[in-house]
Amino acid sequence: MMVGQINTVNVSTTPWRVRSTKKLTAIAVASVVPAILTLIISSQMQLPGLFGLVLVFLPLQLLTASLAAVLVVGKRGIADAILTVTVYFLSLVMAALLGSVVVSLVVRGFKALSFQSLYQNSFLITSVTSLDYGGLGHAIVGTLLTVGIAVLFAVPIGIAVGVFLTETQSPLSGAVRFLSQSLTGLPSIVSGLFVFASLYLTGLIQRSAVLGSIALFLLMLPTIIRLSEDVFKLVPQDLRYAALALGATRSKAFFQVVFPAARSGIITTCLLGAARIIGETAPLIVLVTYLPSTNVNPFSGDMASLPTYIFSWLKFSTDAANQRAWGGALALMILVGVLFGLARYLGRKKI
Amino acid sequence: MSTVNVSDSTSDAMDGALLRSKDINVWFGERHVLNDINLQFPVNSVTALIGPSGCGKSTFIRTLNRMHELIPNAKLAGEVQFQGENIYGTDVDPIQIRIQIGMVFQKPNPFPTMTIRGNVLAGLRLSGKRNRSEDDLVEKSLIAASIWNEVKDRLDAPAGSLSGGQQQRLCIARSLALDPVVLLMDEPCSALDPGSTLRIEETVREISKNMTVVIVTHNMQQAQRVSDQTAFFLSEDNNPGFVVEASSTNEIFRSPKDKRTEDYVSGRFG
Repeated sequence: MMVGQINTVNVSTTPWRVRSTKKLTAIAVASVVPAILTLIISSQMQLPGLFGLVLVFLPLQLLTASLAAVLVVGKRGIADAILTVTVYFLSLVMAALLGSVVVSLVVRGFKALSFQSLYQNSFLITSVTSLDYGGLGHAIVGTLLTVGIAVLFAVPIGIAVGVFLTETQSPLSGAVRFLSQSLTGLPSIVSGLFVFASLYLTGLIQRSAVLGSIALFLLMLPTIIRLSEDVFKLVPQDLRYAALALGATRSKAFFQVVFPAARSGIITTCLLGAARIIGETAPLIVLVTYLPSTNVNPFSGDMASLPTYIFSWLKFSTDAANQRAWGGALALMILVGVLFGLARYLGRKKI
Repeated sequence: MSTVNVSDSTSDAMDGALLRSKDINVWFGERHVLNDINLQFPVNSVTALIGPSGCGKSTFIRTLNRMHELIPNAKLAGEVQFQGENIYGTDVDPIQIRIQIGMVFQKPNPFPTMTIRGNVLAGLRLSGKRNRSEDDLVEKSLIAASIWNEVKDRLDAPAGSLSGGQQQRLCIARSLALDPVVLLMDEPCSALDPGSTLRIEETVREISKNMTVVIVTHNMQQAQRVSDQTAFFLSEDNNPGFVVEASSTNEIFRSPKDKRTEDYVSGRFG
C-alpha cells in the first residue's frame, strides 16, 4: 500500500529551488533601490564615483539587504546579509580596479606595440620619432637575461633552503627561517645599493647586467624560500613515513615521493618568484645603465630591461615617448602572462 | 594458534621468537610513554596489540622497525631483537631493518604521483632492490593483498583513483612486494568500511602462513578473528603505558588473568 502511494506521487523532474514570489520581490527591490538612490544622490551632490560607492551605495545596500533579510528569513538573516553584501561589494570593487589597470594598459599601450616593435631596438630613436620605427626587442631580451640569471640561481638555492627547513630537524632552521623572513622586507633600492657598494665599487664585478641579476636574486630568494617551504609542508608527513618504511634513504624519499608530490606547487613558486622581480625598477636603475641598443652579453656593458625602458621614455613629455612607455608596460604584462601560461602548462598534473 | 609463546614482563622464557622487545622504554621529550615492554613474536604468528587510545600501542609498533626514531624528540631505551640481533645495535642499518620489517599505516597512504603498478614497485625503487620480473611481482603482491581482480585492468591508473579500502590494500601490496619477514600493521582498518576490513583480515590470515604479523587494533572482534596471541596495553592516570597481560588470544578473551583485561575486553571501559 505504501509502495502504491509513493508511485502515485507526481514527481517533478526539475531541480528543487526557492520559488517564493514574496522573497524574490524583496530581494529584487533590495538590489535595485540602493543603486538608483546612489545614482540620484551622487549626481545631485556631484560626488566622485568611488566616494559615491563607498559612502552612499554601500550603507544603503547594507540597510536594504538587512531589511530584505528580515522579511525573508527573519532576524537571523541580518548577519548573513551584511556579510554577503560586504564580500560581494569588496570583491567587485577589487575586480573593477584590476580590470581597469589591464584595460588602460591595453588601450594605451596597444598603439606602440606592433610586430616590428618586438624585434627592433631603440637605437637612434628619439622622443619624436614616429612609432613606425624602433621597438622594445632589446628590452625584452635584457629582461629575459637579467631575470633569467636571477631565477637560475634563486630557484635551486631557494628550494634547497625550503628543503632544509622542512625535511631536516636542524636546530639551525629557526635562525634560517628568521633571516629569510627578514630578507622578505628588504626594500628593492637597498638591495640595489648593497650590490652597488659591495660588488661594483669594490671592483669585484665590472659594470654589467649581472649586477642587476644579483640584486634581483636577493629580492627573489626569500619569496622562493617561503613558498617552497609552504609547498613541501603541504606534502603529508604520512607519505614520507611510507617511503622510509619501505627502506628508502631520506634523499630517495625526497626525490621520488616528496618532490613529485610537490612538483606543481614548486613550479608555481618559481613563477611567483619571477613575477616578484620582473617589474623591479629601482635596483636596475642603480646598477644597470639603460642602453637603447641590443646587448646580449650580461657580463659586460649596459643593458636595457623593460622597467628601465619604460623609465627612459617617461623622462620625455612627447606623445610618442609616452606611448612607447605604455607599450613597454603592456609588453611587461604580456610577458608575465606568457610565463604564467607556460608554468600552468608545465605544472599540470601528469597522472 | 598452536605454539603460543608469549611472555609478560615477569617471564624469562624468550627463546624461539623471531622478534622480541626487551625492556622497551619510550619518551617523547620528557614524557615517559612506554615502560618496560617485553613481548615476543614467534615465527608466522599474528599478534594483536589492543588497548585504549593513547596507551602507546602505535608508539610501540614503530619501535619494532626503527620508524620511531623519525619522530622529533623521540627517545628510546631497551632492545628489539630480530633474528637474534639487536636492531638498535650500533652497526645496524635502519634501512635494512625497514626492508625486512614492513609497515602498513593507519590511514591509506599510496603515493599519489604514481600509478597502481608504480606504487607496488615503489619499495624496490626506493630501497634500491632489483627484481627481474616486475610484472610477476606486481601480480603476486596484488593477489596476496586480495586486490588483483579489482585493479588488474587498470594498473596504470593513478593510485588516488582507488577507494579508501582499495588504497589500503594497495599499501599492503606495496609492503608485501618487498617480501618482508615481519609485517607491522598500525590500525590498518580504522578508516575503512566493514567490507574492506573483512578483505584485509582475510589477507592477514593468508599472509601469516609465511609471515609474522603484528597488528594494532581497536576492534576486539578483529583481534579475536585474526590473531593468535594478544597483548593488552594500558596507560593509567598519565603513567607510561605498559603491558597488562599478554597471552594467547583465546586466553585473553575467554579467561583473562587480570581484572583490567577482563573489563576492557568485555567492553566495560576503553
